[in-house]
Amino acid sequence: MAAVLELRNVSKRFGGLRAVRDVSFQMRENEILFVIGPNGAGKTTVFNLISGFLHPDEGSITFSGHDITQTEPHESARLGVGRTFQIVKPLPTLTVRQNVMLGAFMHTSSVAQAQGEADKILDFLQMSHLKDFPARGLPLAALKRLEIARALATKPKLILLDEVVSGLTTSEALALADLIKRLPEWNVGVVGGVEHVMQVVMKIADHIVVLDYGAKIAEGKPEEVVKQPAVIEAYLGPKYKELVR
Amino acid sequence: MVHFLQACMNGLLTGALYALIGMGLALIFGVMRIVNFAHGSFLMVGMYVSYLLFERLKINPYYGFIAAGIFLFGFGYLVYKLLIQPIRDRSDFMQILMTTGIALILVDTAQLTFGADYHQTNIDLVNRAVHFGPFTLNAASLLSFGIATVFIVGLREFVVRSRTGQALRAIAQNRDVAPLMGINVTRIQGFSFALGIAFAGIAGGLLLPALYLFPSVGEDYTLKAFVIVVLGGMGSIEGAAMGGLVLGVAESLTSTYIGNQWALAIDFVLFLLMLSLKPSGIFGRQRA
Amino acid sequence: MKELRGAKLWITIGLVALSCLPALVVENNYLLQVCFRIALFAALGLAWNLVGGYAGQLSLGHVAFFGLGAYGLAILASHSVPVPIAVLIASLLATLVAALIGKIVFRLRGPYFTLATIACGEVLRLTATNLNITGGAIGLTVPTVFTGPMFWKLYYLSAVALAAGCFLVNFWTANSRFGYYLMAIREDEDTASAVGVDTANYKLRSLLLSAFLTAMAGALYGSAFQYIVPDNILTIDISVQMAIIAMLGGAGTLLGPIVGAILLLGASETFKTQFQESHLLIYGVLIVLVVLFLPEGIVGGIEQLLRSRRKAAKPPAPTPNQSPAISAVEKGN
Repeated sequence: MAAVLELRNVSKRFGGLRAVRDVSFQMRENEILFVIGPNGAGKTTVFNLISGFLHPDEGSITFSGHDITQTEPHESARLGVGRTFQIVKPLPTLTVRQNVMLGAFMHTSSVAQAQGEADKILDFLQMSHLKDFPARGLPLAALKRLEIARALATKPKLILLDEVVSGLTTSEALALADLIKRLPEWNVGVVGGVEHVMQVVMKIADHIVVLDYGAKIAEGKPEEVVKQPAVIEAYLGPKYKELVR
Repeated sequence: MVHFLQACMNGLLTGALYALIGMGLALIFGVMRIVNFAHGSFLMVGMYVSYLLFERLKINPYYGFIAAGIFLFGFGYLVYKLLIQPIRDRSDFMQILMTTGIALILVDTAQLTFGADYHQTNIDLVNRAVHFGPFTLNAASLLSFGIATVFIVGLREFVVRSRTGQALRAIAQNRDVAPLMGINVTRIQGFSFALGIAFAGIAGGLLLPALYLFPSVGEDYTLKAFVIVVLGGMGSIEGAAMGGLVLGVAESLTSTYIGNQWALAIDFVLFLLMLSLKPSGIFGRQRA
Repeated sequence: MKELRGAKLWITIGLVALSCLPALVVENNYLLQVCFRIALFAALGLAWNLVGGYAGQLSLGHVAFFGLGAYGLAILASHSVPVPIAVLIASLLATLVAALIGKIVFRLRGPYFTLATIACGEVLRLTATNLNITGGAIGLTVPTVFTGPMFWKLYYLSAVALAAGCFLVNFWTANSRFGYYLMAIREDEDTASAVGVDTANYKLRSLLLSAFLTAMAGALYGSAFQYIVPDNILTIDISVQMAIIAMLGGAGTLLGPIVGAILLLGASETFKTQFQESHLLIYGVLIVLVVLFLPEGIVGGIEQLLRSRRKAAKPPAPTPNQSPAISAVEKGN
């Protein structure tokens, strides 16, 4: 199957800090890919680069045949790159439903239609009972779902979930993971970024890319990647590398 | 050439006072991120205080400005506690509105109390000139320049050397972590605001002999103050001092070569240019 | 929901009809003038609301468009352009200027944006004071549309018509995708970008619309008072008034600016009769009070109250991490 997303030798520097170093990987359609790595590995930067909030200093990013290396965020969004934010960004004074409608408006200018779309998605995410509540004041688990709902409403080909389970309890995280596993049903590929909730990653990822200090150190199926010494070293330190034998 | 240098020198003399105003705002806006649209109005209050002292007690403004400064320190602290602190964490929008409201109250109270009439102090010094070489400088302006310089240097030393000054800069850099260092953020912020307003008052006192006094005299200075802060680079007290001098010279040159009425325009032009081209200011680092 | 919409429409029509009442009842010219100003500032508040309320951009430079409308009318009319056409062209020119201004100021955020808008207004005032074509500091005469004893009544009705028009624009905005996009920009620009909103473009659109309406109000104002001077028609005070009217009443609401105009101008007139001058004090006090105690404005505050009453009536809802999701996990496993 052709790659729907491809990063080629992407690098990004912030002053003297090389946040992303020569990272390349491909992702197939409707795949669930996770980018993992310890704190500061560059995952959020990669997400910002893909979604257009940042632009690489070197390398290229192609999505569905389009070169999105230098596109602006709203342009990437319109091409089919949806995203959530690590620190949730709801629109506080609007209701849950209105938040999701915002995403739906990408494909319709009718308020009624957008409302219908929003309701469908809220149903899928089991949030219908929260429809009319203002987004401000909702618990984190609901806000994380809201982020996904809003992104889904834009009918993306790919959704970037940045640290989507961080801050949730294990049961909340697992519940959300099940939902994410079903996203390919909606013809949406997933790129997730998680730091340490490995249960979620192992449960639903098809494909994993591991970053450490901005560089890719491993890639492959979850069971294989987790056993690699370089990965263990990155997370736990050199001592534990030996334990893998 | 002489003409040019003369204009520059006059600009520097005014610029020193601008520096005071700008540094005051830099303390408030640059360091504390409080958008104070009433800065010029406080300056006006300083002018009226000095004027009252001159009219009633015959105190020369070149002494009276100290009283203006002290009064405005206290007044500024009061305003901060009552009106600014409660909305400290609200949006810029709200701060702009609040300080605009304060400005309206100050200006209108001045008008109700003193009338809209223009007042003028007649100080002999204003009419004297100092000559050196081909240059002529107004004696009064020279005196205010001297006094202002003392305060500019003083403030700079205070911010850099003293513990309070360091606390101030700590808060500017990271408001959340500062309390962990044992800094009483609320008290320092109140102090900082009061100090900024005091400087506006001092500048007002020193400006009194040179200007006509009327309630809205301070309004132009609010914008000037922001222009200076932007020119100097956000959060930089020294930058604001430089910015003040730059603005003074720019206005003077514009007056001399283009025309008096366009002097105010140069403020806006510089402002818009700066924000469009180099938002971090002439001397500033990244923080616009 | 639809029935409520229908009711709202009738209420609106009723209100418009009600506002025409002063034209029939009031005979005192001075009072009619006051009513005229209230209606005009209601229109101005509604126009500002598009940019400041829905899009959340605190512009304090709107007087630029107000003045451009008035000066445009005066200058074009002096070249024998018929008044209605002159008003239209002036407003379109103001919109063009708005496009230019927008390109500059929307690149800035927060207080810098506001300061830049102030600077734009002031630059225009200085320019008008120093150019010959605008009559310099002396100003220009503006032609009138109406004459005779019904002068102020007709001008008042025109102002009401303009306000109604501005209201309709607000109404349409609030219930359209355009409005949602503006509100998204107001709440979080990054989120808006992430769902495909070209924020710069939409901010500009709101400004163009707002500028056009503001300019028309300016032309109407100039025409009613027949003489314009930079310090009157391009003063920052007008920008501030527009913002305060909207904020006091409730920025981002439909009725807010109208309530704000009635309240603010009404209060200032009453104050004026007591003190014979100086209404700025009451503005200042009102702003301070609103910011401290009622930041949503009057209408906004009422809406919030109603919303919290409605929430209290509903039974508390389960959060997603309880029953529905866990049962999904159990089912999935």
